[in-house]
Amino acid sequence: MNFFKELTRGIIKENPIFVIVLGMCPTLAVTTSVENALGMGLAATFVLICSNIMISLIKDVTPASIRIPVYIVVIAAFVSIVDMMMAAYLPALHKSLGLFIPLIAVNCIILGRAEAYASKNNVVMSIADAIGMGLGFTLSLSVVASIREIIGAGTWLNMRVTPASYDPMLIAILAPGAFITLGFLMAIMSMIKEKK
Amino acid sequence: MKYYLKLGFVLLIFCAGASGILAYVNSLTTPIIAARKAQDEINAREKLIPGAIFEERESADGDSYFIARDESEQIIGFVFIAAENGYSSKIQTMVGIDADFDIIGIEILDQGETPGLGANCLNESFSAQFAQKDALGLKVDKDDGEIVALSGATITSRTIVNSVRTRANSLKAELETGGEQ
Repeated sequence: MNFFKELTRGIIKENPIFVIVLGMCPTLAVTTSVENALGMGLAATFVLICSNIMISLIKDVTPASIRIPVYIVVIAAFVSIVDMMMAAYLPALHKSLGLFIPLIAVNCIILGRAEAYASKNNVVMSIADAIGMGLGFTLSLSVVASIREIIGAGTWLNMRVTPASYDPMLIAILAPGAFITLGFLMAIMSMIKEKK
Repeated sequence: MKYYLKLGFVLLIFCAGASGILAYVNSLTTPIIAARKAQDEINAREKLIPGAIFEERESADGDSYFIARDESEQIIGFVFIAAENGYSSKIQTMVGIDADFDIIGIEILDQGETPGLGANCLNESFSAQFAQKDALGLKVDKDDGEIVALSGATITSRTIVNSVRTRANSLKAELETGGEQ
C-alpha cells in the first residue's frame, strides 16, 4: 500500500463514478458543459482533500456511534467555506457553479470516502486517496461533459469544434442525455473490465 | 446515561468549532462579496449607457431605478432591473432605456434556466434584438410582438420580455405622477 498506488486507484480501478457509482446527482446535473464539469470536479476535489485530512486527524477522538453526524458537520463546514471563499475571490466561477456547490455537501463520494477510507487510514494516505478520487471524479465528469457538449451544443470548452453545418442534438444537453451518455460509458467501462 | 451525555457533548464541541470557523469566514467574505456585487451592477449600468452619470431613485413600490444624465445634466435615459420567475429560476434583467422609453440594451444579470434551452437567453443574438425596441409595447413573436423567442424556451423569453415591459410601464406611470423635473 504505497502512496502512488493509493493515488492512481481512484482514477481507473475504483473510479468513483463508473465503478463505485457514487455521486450520481452532481454527475447528472453539471455535465452540460466541460467548463461546469471541471469547476465542479475541482471544487469537490478540494473539499474531499480537506475533509479527508480532517476526518483522518479526528478519527481517534470521534466515538464510533456518532461518527456520521460528525463527518457531516465537518463536510458541510468545508462546503460552506468553499462557497463563501469562491463568491468572494472567484466570482466568475461562483456564478456558473453557485447552484451546485451546496450539492457537494450531499455528494456521497465525500461522505463515502470519509467513512470507507479516511476514518481508517493515516493522514498521508487519506490525502492520496482524496486526490485520486477527486481526479477520478473530475476526469469522469469531463468525459461525460465532453460527449454531451460536443453532441448537444457543437462546442468543447465553449469553442466551436463541429462544422457549421452540424445541427446540435439538443437532447444530449438536456437531462435524458445525461442518463444515455452515462449508460453508454458505464457499459464501455465494464466491457473493458470483463476483457481483462 | 453518562455515555449518551458524553456523545452529545462531543458532538456539541464539533458543532461549536465548525460554527466558530464559519462565522469567522463569513465575517471575512461578506464585505468582499457585497462590494463585488455592487461593482458588477455599476459595470453593467456603465455598459448599457456609457459615460452617463447615474442617480439612484426609489420608486413608490419600493424598487429602485437609476436616472442617467449626461454632462449638461440632461436626462438621457433610465436603468432598472426587471425580475420575474421564469421556467426554473428568477431571471434578473438589467435594462437601459432612453428618455423616449426605447431600449438601449439589456443585460441578463442572473438566471438559472435549463442549459441548452432557456440559458441561451445569455446569447448575444437574443439580447441584441431588444435594442431600439419600444419598451412599453415589448412582446414576443408568439404574442404578436417583435422579439423572436428562443426556440424551445418560450417561457423564458416571455418572462424576460414581459418583466421588462411591466417595469417600463410602471416606471412611466411613476415619472408622470411623481413630477419629474
